[in-house]
Amino acid sequence: MNNIFDIIVIGGGHAGIEASVAAARVGAGVLKVALVSMDLSSIGRLSCNPAIGGTAKGHLVKELDALGGVMGMIADKSGLQFKMLNRSKGPAVWSPRSQNDKDLYPRYAQELLQTTEHLTLVDGAAVEILVNHDTVRGVKLDDGSELKCRAVVLCGGTFLNGKMFTGLNCTAGGRVGEQAATDISDMLASYGLEKGRLKTGTPPRIAAESVDWSKTEPHAGDEHPQPFSHRTTSVENKIVCSGTHTNERTHAVLREGFDRSPMFTGRIQGSGPRYCPSIEDKIDRFAQRDSHHIVLEPEGLNTNSIYVNGFSTSLPDDIQLRGLHTISGLENAQLLRAGYAVEYDFFFPFQLRFTLETKAIAGLFFAGQINGTSGYEEAATQGFVAGVNAALKIKGEGEFTLKRSEAYIGVMIDDLVNKSTEEPYRIFTSSAEYRLLLRQDNADRRLMRHGFQLGLIDKAACEQMLEREERIQYTLDYAKTTKLRPAEVNGYLESVGEPTTSEVATIDLLARRGGTTLEALLEIGSGESGMKNWELGMTNWKEYSSSSFAKIVEQAEIEIKYSGYIDRQMKEISVFAANEEKKIPETLDYATVKSLSTEARQKLARIRPASLGQASRIAGISAADISVLTVYLR
Amino acid sequence: MLIIDTICALATPIGTAGLAVVRLSGDDCLEIADKCFRAKTCIAEAKSHTILYGKMWNGDIMLDTVVASVFRAPNSYTGEDVVEFGCHGGMIVSGEIVQALIEAGARPAAPGEFTKRAFLNQKMDLTQVEAVGDLIHAVSTHGSHTAARQLMGGFTKKLSELREQLLMICGLLELELDFSQEDIELINRTELCEKIEAAQKFCRDLAESHRSSEILRAGYAVGIAGYPNAGKSSLLNALVGRKRAIVSNVPGTTRDYIEEALHLGGMAVKLMDTAGFRESRDVIEIEGIQLAESLLEQCNLILVLNDITLGETHSQTLLRELQEKFPSSEFALVQNKIDQSLNKKQGVNDKQLVPILLLSAQTGQGVQTLKDFITQKALENTKGVSDALLNARQAALLNQAAACMQASIVAVNANISNEFIAIDLREALKRIGEITGSIWNEDILNSVFSKFCIGK
Repeated sequence: MNNIFDIIVIGGGHAGIEASVAAARVGAGVLKVALVSMDLSSIGRLSCNPAIGGTAKGHLVKELDALGGVMGMIADKSGLQFKMLNRSKGPAVWSPRSQNDKDLYPRYAQELLQTTEHLTLVDGAAVEILVNHDTVRGVKLDDGSELKCRAVVLCGGTFLNGKMFTGLNCTAGGRVGEQAATDISDMLASYGLEKGRLKTGTPPRIAAESVDWSKTEPHAGDEHPQPFSHRTTSVENKIVCSGTHTNERTHAVLREGFDRSPMFTGRIQGSGPRYCPSIEDKIDRFAQRDSHHIVLEPEGLNTNSIYVNGFSTSLPDDIQLRGLHTISGLENAQLLRAGYAVEYDFFFPFQLRFTLETKAIAGLFFAGQINGTSGYEEAATQGFVAGVNAALKIKGEGEFTLKRSEAYIGVMIDDLVNKSTEEPYRIFTSSAEYRLLLRQDNADRRLMRHGFQLGLIDKAACEQMLEREERIQYTLDYAKTTKLRPAEVNGYLESVGEPTTSEVATIDLLARRGGTTLEALLEIGSGESGMKNWELGMTNWKEYSSSSFAKIVEQAEIEIKYSGYIDRQMKEISVFAANEEKKIPETLDYATVKSLSTEARQKLARIRPASLGQASRIAGISAADISVLTVYLR
Repeated sequence: MLIIDTICALATPIGTAGLAVVRLSGDDCLEIADKCFRAKTCIAEAKSHTILYGKMWNGDIMLDTVVASVFRAPNSYTGEDVVEFGCHGGMIVSGEIVQALIEAGARPAAPGEFTKRAFLNQKMDLTQVEAVGDLIHAVSTHGSHTAARQLMGGFTKKLSELREQLLMICGLLELELDFSQEDIELINRTELCEKIEAAQKFCRDLAESHRSSEILRAGYAVGIAGYPNAGKSSLLNALVGRKRAIVSNVPGTTRDYIEEALHLGGMAVKLMDTAGFRESRDVIEIEGIQLAESLLEQCNLILVLNDITLGETHSQTLLRELQEKFPSSEFALVQNKIDQSLNKKQGVNDKQLVPILLLSAQTGQGVQTLKDFITQKALENTKGVSDALLNARQAALLNQAAACMQASIVAVNANISNEFIAIDLREALKRIGEITGSIWNEDILNSVFSKFCIGK
């Protein structure tokens, strides 16, 4: 084997997959990329729940897909059930989620990697990143061999000094049955990179045949399941999940094991995610609640393994099993694998640039849990950004970064770089201040151009999107200029419970009402010419198909219905952009800015914000600090 | 690097006093001070918070004997090195000292510049800065007490209480959006509305105290209205205790308005004598009457003066009209010229339910009773101001925040999805942040996690 590469990706989780594929494709034959994994057969594993997407996470997957990432496609292919969450809310917070086959997902991921050109898969454990003059020059493997390269994307997951806990038992490892990586973490710390400790956990898996399904409540997928990827034509639901819940007896049993809990006995020191607490944590912190929700999620079509969602725990095995047996439908549940907690090292992400390259070592990129995040989607999107930037850097082609106003990916990376990590970071829709604009339905309109420029989206897909864009604009203009007479529209208004109109009104104005739909109004417009005119306009474009109408009308409708709020957000973005433009020199010595508070000075010196806008988002920086900086920079 | 130039100014009010203080602040403060000040020890060697006795010189000319108080950064008012010279009072000596310091390299301070530096150096937050301005301008002893309380952060505390309320509501909204998969009891719309309304009321009440604050700052405004020749100017003169208004018995003499400040029981009171109300053809007088109305609008209390010799109900129509025009003002009917009348009914007017006072502006009879009455009213009106002395900017921001909350209530009632309601509430949070100077960041999720059980 030739031991010289341009880019080496370490780790074959969701970050590693996206990083290696993106780097190889952006490298486009000029760059040689390798993916190093301790176990090639474990690449793409769904180590926690067998699901992709969810609130805000679904947005990430759609964005990644628009940029040319692969997670959406693999999720579609291995998907067992599809649901659009938050359907009863406004379109901005709709989020796609899928249940996935835990055997098929890694299989498709591995097939994809094997067929990706210019990508070599290397079986081995990385023990050291070789650095010379603070610049990456290679990777050393456990067999002593050295691979040369100019950039490394480290996606170590929970494997950096990973420790697993079940009850009072503790074993080294990042995932059940897999060894931990201990050397790299210490080696990085020796370069001055600050590290911390985090914790996460997973629930037990039980045998499907041991569940009394009649005592559970079925949770079906959507009637019309939608795929994540623009490359997927259709998907179907193949399974049904089931709901049940804990009760006071469950809680009593679990409490008996508290004295053997690695968390309550202080054996685990890392902080866990507050949004995904263990069942013992829930019982302890919310003692007034006598029941917690449990969802039984089948892990695949060819396995009897059931994921007990809501029952994440690191209590001893015997307690886990006894606890499960108190739950309706699980009276005879058989444990396939006990739940456990994992504690692992991460590196504080303020030490990163927006490209995810470390500030300390040139050419070293971090992605995924090593940056203190949790979740497949968070990891995958970071892997993508790191992989693309590693390739661009070596090709000498600038940087690829996204702003908070453009994408959830931008929100996440900005949050990571600016905020202090006290628990594993998860994306939320509430983290996006411009969330009305960052919708899952318009991810392609927001980001596909970037994907095309990077060479990750093919020309046809991009052109289709641009064409759709034109048609949406046409529809918006049409709605603004086409007026309906009261006689034409009042019948419809009455039928949907809206007050009638006494004057001629534009479709745009009528569509803003809560009860109306744009589609119906466009149709009413017909009379002699109305809808025909709109339709005629639509046929001016090539590849006319009425099936793509739905998407166009949907987009136009959202823009019309929420235009008041959307305009407000657009205005806010222009203020935001102005502050992002106010650059702070990278070499600024904050010690000389006398009037800053001590806290602000320390934080600014640590994070080194690139702009005043970024500085204002750092936790603990006050308006007074910003005015001081403004005065100073003038 | 930013050089903080050294500024100086007279720090005590202009006027006659035994002592005056000249303040010097900035990077070269100690050096400049030493160029003018001579004593046993030089200022550059003095420890912080020490006082030196010496003489101020401008070149060869000795200006005054002074005490110099030395405060070293950051433990000073501005956070920079500061020297304060206590010199003899009067404009001449202090003016010469400022001149000497300028010749030695200091720059005259712009108005409020010391406080601005204190703010930039994190010595105080924005509300405290504003309170200092109010303290300097406080016209009554009551006002300065409240301003002092604000400096201690009383207002900040109320604001953070309001902020907490809003964060909690935002958290409830987000709970439903980001954690819809969880089995959590969601707040119903009626309850949501009630919570926003409660926060809005809190916000409005706080903004409302601006009115009382204005009284403390600018004084309790009392307007004197009445038909021509009812004796308004005479009454003003009697209250002020000297001849200020031109008094004659020709109706319509007061064409311009006259404003007088007086202190009653620790309260600053602004007295306004206005032109008489009557149908007039005189253009100047008509303008005078229009001006009178715009003045009365600002008054907290309007005294309707009636010439009792023309009958005690002679001014009923005027009183009723004014009450309709200025519904937020308080009224009292003052029967003047009782020395010339036998009718002496005092108490409350049956029809309009306003207090009636009897007096004679000419003889001074009953004037003290009126003064006591005004004092009592002024005190009553400032009771609401216990913690906060708001300025107009703060009141405006609070009103904007309340308006944002109103928009969110409208959205809730229109059954619009939470992410839109959240936009208005976040806007309200931003406005409140502008008052305290703290930047809003993602505290909303913390509010969610601390109160709800999240995570399946």
